[in-house]
Amino acid sequence: MKRFKALLLREYWENRVAFRSTPVALFAIYMVGALMTLVTFNYFDHEFQTMREAVRYLAQFDESIRAHGVYLWNLASSTLFTVVLGFVVFFYLLGSLYDDRKDRSILFWKSLPASDTLTIASKLFTAMFVVPSLFWLAYVLSMLALYLIGTITVLVLGENPWTLFVGIGNPFKAWGLVLVSFYAQAIWALPVYGWLMFVSSCAPRLPLLFALVPPAVFAVLQIWIDFLRTFTLKTNLGGILWEWYANNPMINCCGEVNGRVDAIMGIPITDTFDHAPTIANMLDRLFSVQMAWGLLVATALLAGALWFRKRATDN
Amino acid sequence: MGNVIEARGLSKRYGRTMAVNNIDLQVPAGRIVGLIGPNGAGKTSALKAILGLATYDGHLSVLGKDPASERAALMEDVCFIADVAVLPRWIRVREAIEVVERIHPRFSREKCQRYLASTKVKPEHRVKQLSKGMVVQLHLAIVMAIDAKLLVLDEPTLGLDILYRKQFYTNLLNDYFDENRSILITTHQVEEVEHILSDLIFIQDGRIALDCSMDEVQEQYVELMVRKDRVDAARALAPLFERELMGRHIFLYKGVDRETLAGLGEMHTPSVADLFVATMSVGGAA
Repeated sequence: MKRFKALLLREYWENRVAFRSTPVALFAIYMVGALMTLVTFNYFDHEFQTMREAVRYLAQFDESIRAHGVYLWNLASSTLFTVVLGFVVFFYLLGSLYDDRKDRSILFWKSLPASDTLTIASKLFTAMFVVPSLFWLAYVLSMLALYLIGTITVLVLGENPWTLFVGIGNPFKAWGLVLVSFYAQAIWALPVYGWLMFVSSCAPRLPLLFALVPPAVFAVLQIWIDFLRTFTLKTNLGGILWEWYANNPMINCCGEVNGRVDAIMGIPITDTFDHAPTIANMLDRLFSVQMAWGLLVATALLAGALWFRKRATDN
Repeated sequence: MGNVIEARGLSKRYGRTMAVNNIDLQVPAGRIVGLIGPNGAGKTSALKAILGLATYDGHLSVLGKDPASERAALMEDVCFIADVAVLPRWIRVREAIEVVERIHPRFSREKCQRYLASTKVKPEHRVKQLSKGMVVQLHLAIVMAIDAKLLVLDEPTLGLDILYRKQFYTNLLNDYFDENRSILITTHQVEEVEHILSDLIFIQDGRIALDCSMDEVQEQYVELMVRKDRVDAARALAPLFERELMGRHIFLYKGVDRETLAGLGEMHTPSVADLFVATMSVGGAA
């Protein structure tokens, strides 16, 4: 356990820019965005007259509608973090078993009594849980700051922020849901994480190319052959990946659910799963046949990555 | 104490080439062994097998463990510096120390900091800010602070200036080596290590060309500098190797009676470099 923690620390130190500076930058973007909004209002709008009207207009709505709006606002604000998190984890995993082979520091790491299994586990754990937690922390801090800015603004405008938005809509529920969706997504994405680590463990150079080109070529050939044979587009790699992406348990956009605007998980192009953002729906995905296949694929790919890692040196 | 490294029929194949070809090797505890060979002779391949960094054929046991399947456990007792500059460039000195301390049960932070105190390496430095010599000082400080039984050094001073190289071996001998530890060194700079070695292993084309202690070298090998008129007599005594230096002929003998040789010219113990050149030239006949 002590070694595992040390390896996690190593991953954090090695990827400080991606793991720490990126979420901080996102926080900064939110703050700058909020301040720019206020400055813009102030510039065009004498003494925030329009904003004052807008706040009064919002205050007229029924509390349940406002509460739902606040809830959606909390969920929707996670989208930027979700998307950037995806990129960060993607590139992190792609370099995870490649970078130290490239700069030869693998010879140093392998001189320490930490097994290759533990090393791979620490990298996977970092991608699945450490990075999402850090991004989630930045998201929650951003929301707290936005709440604060909103509260001060509304107070200055002479309305009651508590009854308007602070005291309604239970932000903790939204924040908790976002965190759980990050973790659920990490499990859902295991076959892809496995693929990235596998490529990272064996690519002689340019892991990005090795990660993207073979599946793309394979998928295109599959579609083409299917098309020639049957003139139909049946299940193929491209279709599976699209289905995988569409059903991912991340809260990443708004859409219509049960006749009203709501946050949704994935992209509702299929009705295999319910896209409403609830814990039950996330569990539904994680205990599905699709997930079982995904775990099988992930296990095989991670075993492959371990096989290569054991034999990997500086050349 | 038994052997630290024991290899029987050790082979490593890369495609069609045999990098290491069926070698037998024993390294007892408390020795400093120089593994010396030309480029591509199989030194690094042999070391990689010993360190559990590569698969191999044959029997190999390091401190009673099988390196290929027990690398992590083995590394509690084995340290290695494989070449200079393999410390990750992004890491800070204090982070490197902390990560090793957390992972390695036999690492002493105090020792490491004591070694570093005499250098210009500071805790907040990143490895990429350090000069090559300082990186080696850092790496050596880390390794010397680990209470290991076997230290493997693969070209540890490559690309360093002479001051750092001298200091490297001085530190190693004064502060690290004792009768319970063994050191295995590969290097091209034979002259620098020959006075610290207790044993010599020459490797050529994946095979052992010579395996003996430095004492045996002194006992058995003689280099004879012969005047021109005695050359034929010297040749008649079956020298291993003959070379010419500024008009004088130099012969290398193994196990030839010293009194016989004394009459022919000036005798002295060959340097490891000369022995190496001779051994390589005759293709392992020694």
